[in-house]
Amino acid sequence: MNSEAEKKQFLQLIEDNKRIIFKISNSYCQNKNDREDLAQEIIYNLWKSGHSFNDEYKFSTWMYRIALNVAISFYRKEKRTAIRIPFDDVFDVADKSDENKEMDENIKQLQTFINELKELDKALMLLYLESKSYNEISEILGISETNVATKISRIKNNLKEKFTTKKN
Amino acid sequence: MDTDNLQNIWKAYDKKLEESRILNLQSWALNMQCFEDLQKQKAKSKLNKLARFKLWTVALGIVWVLFLVFLVVKTLVFSNIIFVISVSMIAIITTIGIGLYIKQLILIKQIDNSDSVTIVQEKLATLQTSTLNIPRILFLQSPFYCTWWFKPEWFTSSNPAFWFISLPVALAFTFLAIWLYRNINYKNMDKKWFRILFNSPEWNWVLKAKDFINEIDVFKKDKV
Repeated sequence: MNSEAEKKQFLQLIEDNKRIIFKISNSYCQNKNDREDLAQEIIYNLWKSGHSFNDEYKFSTWMYRIALNVAISFYRKEKRTAIRIPFDDVFDVADKSDENKEMDENIKQLQTFINELKELDKALMLLYLESKSYNEISEILGISETNVATKISRIKNNLKEKFTTKKN
Repeated sequence: MDTDNLQNIWKAYDKKLEESRILNLQSWALNMQCFEDLQKQKAKSKLNKLARFKLWTVALGIVWVLFLVFLVVKTLVFSNIIFVISVSMIAIITTIGIGLYIKQLILIKQIDNSDSVTIVQEKLATLQTSTLNIPRILFLQSPFYCTWWFKPEWFTSSNPAFWFISLPVALAFTFLAIWLYRNINYKNMDKKWFRILFNSPEWNWVLKAKDFINEIDVFKKDKV
């Protein structure tokens, strides 16, 4: 994967999937600079692992595996010296002039709850929220479909409790 | 808040990302030039920060072992038997340590990020925990640093400095080295002596890898 055409094709793939890369980086990194570093690390690893892609799996399965593996490894290294920063700084997407304040608040809360999950649960939840099928989630994470279903149900219940507590 | 709406909230988040200009503003929103720079920067930083340090460690270890082998070859006579045995043992144990280190570097290189998440993370965490084997083995050479200067004739003499100081110190180090070899493991990671011995951010990370392996095990189980 070194010709100009291949590079352009790769950049197009990154362009098409940049929201996913952003969301994964945002969920695993609290610090703005770290988020950018992680996004770069994911892109670099996707490029470096280009040879490992085979038709046995969907492109998105391959991409999520690499992105999540890089994010979890990065998170575990970063966490050693991580400093907790205020929530408003973590969530930098919300547009303050937006009329839909309730949805903004829900997005913020969901983002916060996801940030609080353990590394693997976080990966599971991100895949669920991206509307991946249980089958694909099980292939990406390497656990059974039954396990995926059980864990998603448990995490959803936890989130429900947290949302309720927050509202009250 | 109904959790069935979680995916809808996520979609709204997606939409906001699209609407806001944040993705375009990120420096990692790439163009060709930017990507070329990223490749160079990553290749360079990897070599600088990680590989260079590890390669230097291995290179220094190899030079040290070669020096020890040179000493052994140059002093290989019966009257130097204790020196030769001590230095040979230090060389052998250091070589085993270097071998373990190189093996780790090769295994790290072989990890394929496109494997499933639990497989890759388990391999990485297991590799991190296996780092503990290196000091565990290297401690075994400590008694030989106390014996290399012993003379065979001392064992037949009544030199009090040898019988009451040098030999007991060497025996104490032997006992300590064997004890550490047997006790440096995760069962003892909460003990005070263990925390004093491995009290640095680098080791904390290695120790946390064991917790992560347990987390992965729990995650992989169907029952929750």
